[in-house]
Amino acid sequence: MSENTKKKLTELGKKMVKEIEEDKSPEFESTLRTKSNTIYDEGIGCLRLGEKQETRKFVSVAQARTFMQTVAIATKTKQFLDQNLHTSIRGLFYQLKFSLGENMDEDLFSEQSESNALIEDLEVALKVKREDLNLTTDRKGFVAGPMRIRDRFGGEETVIDCAKQGRSGWSIPSDVDNDMEIEKVKADYVLVVEKDALWQRLNEDQFWKKENCLVVTPKGQSTRGTRRLLRKLADQKLPVYCLMDCDAWGWYIYWTIKTGSMNLAYLGRDFSVPEAKFIGVTMTDIEEYGFLQKLTIKAKDVDLKRAEEMLGYPWINRHKEWVKELKLVLKTKKKIEQDALQGQRLTFVGEYIKDKIGNKRWLP
Amino acid sequence: MAKDIFKEFKEHSVAEFFKKNRQMLGFSGKVRSLTMIVHELVTNSLDACEEADILPEISVEIKELAPENYIVTVKDNGPGIPDNYIGKALGMMLAGTKFHRYIQQRGQQGIGASGCTMFSYITTGQPVKAVSCNGGRRKEYEILIDLKRNKPVVNRISDEPTEEHGITVISQYKDVKYEKSNKGPFEYIRRTALANPHATITFVDPLGETSVFPRSVEKNPPKPFEIKPHPLGVTTHDLLEFAQHYGSEYRKISAFLQDIFSRLSANKVAELKEMAPDVDFEKSPKEMTWEDAEKLTKAFQQVKWIAPATDSLVPIGKEQIEASFRNIFNPELLVVTERSPKVYRGGIPFTVEVGVAFGGGVKDADKKGEIMRFANRVPLLFDTSGCAITETVKGVDWGRYNLRNFDEEPIVVLVNFVSVYVPYTSAGKLAIAPEEDIQNEIKFAVMEASRGIQKYISGRRRATEIATKKKVITRYVPQLASDLSSLTGKSSDKIEKKLISIIENKYSGGNGGEEEAPRKEEGEPEGEEAEE
Repeated sequence: MSENTKKKLTELGKKMVKEIEEDKSPEFESTLRTKSNTIYDEGIGCLRLGEKQETRKFVSVAQARTFMQTVAIATKTKQFLDQNLHTSIRGLFYQLKFSLGENMDEDLFSEQSESNALIEDLEVALKVKREDLNLTTDRKGFVAGPMRIRDRFGGEETVIDCAKQGRSGWSIPSDVDNDMEIEKVKADYVLVVEKDALWQRLNEDQFWKKENCLVVTPKGQSTRGTRRLLRKLADQKLPVYCLMDCDAWGWYIYWTIKTGSMNLAYLGRDFSVPEAKFIGVTMTDIEEYGFLQKLTIKAKDVDLKRAEEMLGYPWINRHKEWVKELKLVLKTKKKIEQDALQGQRLTFVGEYIKDKIGNKRWLP
Repeated sequence: MAKDIFKEFKEHSVAEFFKKNRQMLGFSGKVRSLTMIVHELVTNSLDACEEADILPEISVEIKELAPENYIVTVKDNGPGIPDNYIGKALGMMLAGTKFHRYIQQRGQQGIGASGCTMFSYITTGQPVKAVSCNGGRRKEYEILIDLKRNKPVVNRISDEPTEEHGITVISQYKDVKYEKSNKGPFEYIRRTALANPHATITFVDPLGETSVFPRSVEKNPPKPFEIKPHPLGVTTHDLLEFAQHYGSEYRKISAFLQDIFSRLSANKVAELKEMAPDVDFEKSPKEMTWEDAEKLTKAFQQVKWIAPATDSLVPIGKEQIEASFRNIFNPELLVVTERSPKVYRGGIPFTVEVGVAFGGGVKDADKKGEIMRFANRVPLLFDTSGCAITETVKGVDWGRYNLRNFDEEPIVVLVNFVSVYVPYTSAGKLAIAPEEDIQNEIKFAVMEASRGIQKYISGRRRATEIATKKKVITRYVPQLASDLSSLTGKSSDKIEKKLISIIENKYSGGNGGEEEAPRKEEGEPEGEEAEE
């Protein structure tokens, strides 16, 4: 993998040098990363970038600086790969934050936002992930359950058993592709719960052991590592069930796992799980589980606005179940948090999940 | 020949009046007074040289005796002044050869040099020294004014033979101040040189620094000739004065009118009689009353006249202004207009010359948005705001000519107003009255010149833009070359050289390169993503 990425970076440089030798301005071509070039791919069921290309030229006042910066990132990450060292995107920024010359009042990079955007450009242009460039992101998600991971890191190889991580679980790294593989999964399905609190509840209940599943929490919005892991598990034909709050944030977390987001549409299929199902919490649960009636809270403006927006997205309104659910939200102006499931009895959550999955009572 | 010039001296008893009202001569303010002194003396010298057909060579020296106390020496190579006129020339107020004459001239009332004598006397008590070389004799005088009787008091000190000609006037002043500003003598001399390219002027300032403005044209301008006034160009006051002055030469008002005015025929007299039936055209002009004059000038306005002749005007000339500008400023760009004469108040011919100089030496001289005003080649340094020229030039929409920040641009706008009669706003002769006809013509002339520089400036701006573009891109070359080198193993030097030549090629020969593609639209932020 890393050899392949190194080759791509070198090829990029060679192509530019060739252009320069032919007396042409070197060019950097990449897929346009704009909202207008973001499409929903019905075949795969995820958001991805369209076909529109963008060509950046060095000999152009508007683009010279960005061009130079892009090449600087390519060169620097190539060095990381050569040295087999990783850093964060902030670390990269600091590596490249230096003056362009003694008499120049200008830094190669002055803001991290500049380098962040160009890292994404490079990912798109070279069809690699930032993790392939030895750039790490913060970890946030956790897993518990019957899965063994082989991790080659710092010159050592470790086998991690996610069923033996006690109360803390296995912390999902930013890169689950390079020098890492899923050795064995014996689970029947994957359960994703939005909040760490619920994950700890299920862990304490030994839910994953009783149900023979993997319990994952992204702890809010999913990191790239978590999304990538879910994709890999889905590739092993494991169903992915999601349990989120019934509110704007919960829906957003779910749809990011399922179809990807507008912002990161360039990540495309490798980071989305179109097979994912939304088992709850839903508005219709209120009818099923009477005690929930008293545990709803008033929806905020942001929740209602979000529900309306979602009704406008073609990848959502094609599911009549979602249309019904969202309309109900707009009508009742209520929302429910997943924590409400513990309202009656702490261990009720497990029964709820089994009921939902067993009876296929989910939203697509 | 020089003798003829001085025959027309007339006497006016006004010295007392001007002693009390010296600001009316321009003698108000310490800097302004000194500049006015230089102006009066230099103007006299230029006029004298030109009338005698001599290429003017004038030197001006200002020496500081004590703070606010200076000696001013002005020397010319003119004809000098004969013995019997020297007192009138330098010691009698309003002793003008020029009063009541419709001829293009620098000063309009001969109070100038005598005004200096008076100012010198009342501030220092010293007489003015004059050395006149005329008719083979070099005579040295001391001259005072008897203020009560407006009579010159001339004391001849020496008389010896000479081969030279010209006059040197040495006068001392207090209550004046030398300043090297836009209103000081140096700038006055520089502008005088600019408007008089046939003159060589040397200036020595109080620090002993000598500036020479050599002539750029080897020929005096043609002499303007006197014309009769046009009926539309006179006021009631003028008409009454003409009647008093020349009236004894005519028996009847009708004959006086026909002879004194241009375009006024017997037929026109008949028309005027119809318009002003109360006026007795048969009586002597000497008997003309204010009411008569008022009715007549009113009638003048109602009759259709042929426009006045305009061939009496002598502008500096396009080529002369160009030569002069090159000589004194050597600007990067120069546009001078050449426009036909116009008429204001229906009866007074005038012409406007405009020269616009931009960049180069103008920039080096640190001139920014400077308006140089002239009336019949005389620089107008004071009363800037009340002047028709300033108002008009400032009123031009400079943005249309790519000069949005007129006051910050390296630009000099010369406007020379040429006329047989300059409507000054005061006796100090420092500002031209803002008459509509005049302002319009100035505006058109300035706009014409500005169009000339507009193209040039936009071209120049473009060149600057291209240079800036080149610079912007070039500054990133070393970093890019070094990165590409480390990425590919190719020589950084070679890549760098190649890149620079590519940039040079793209931005050479006035080709600014194709329009830049706009930056991609910004990715729309949407919610928060746990990314870091």
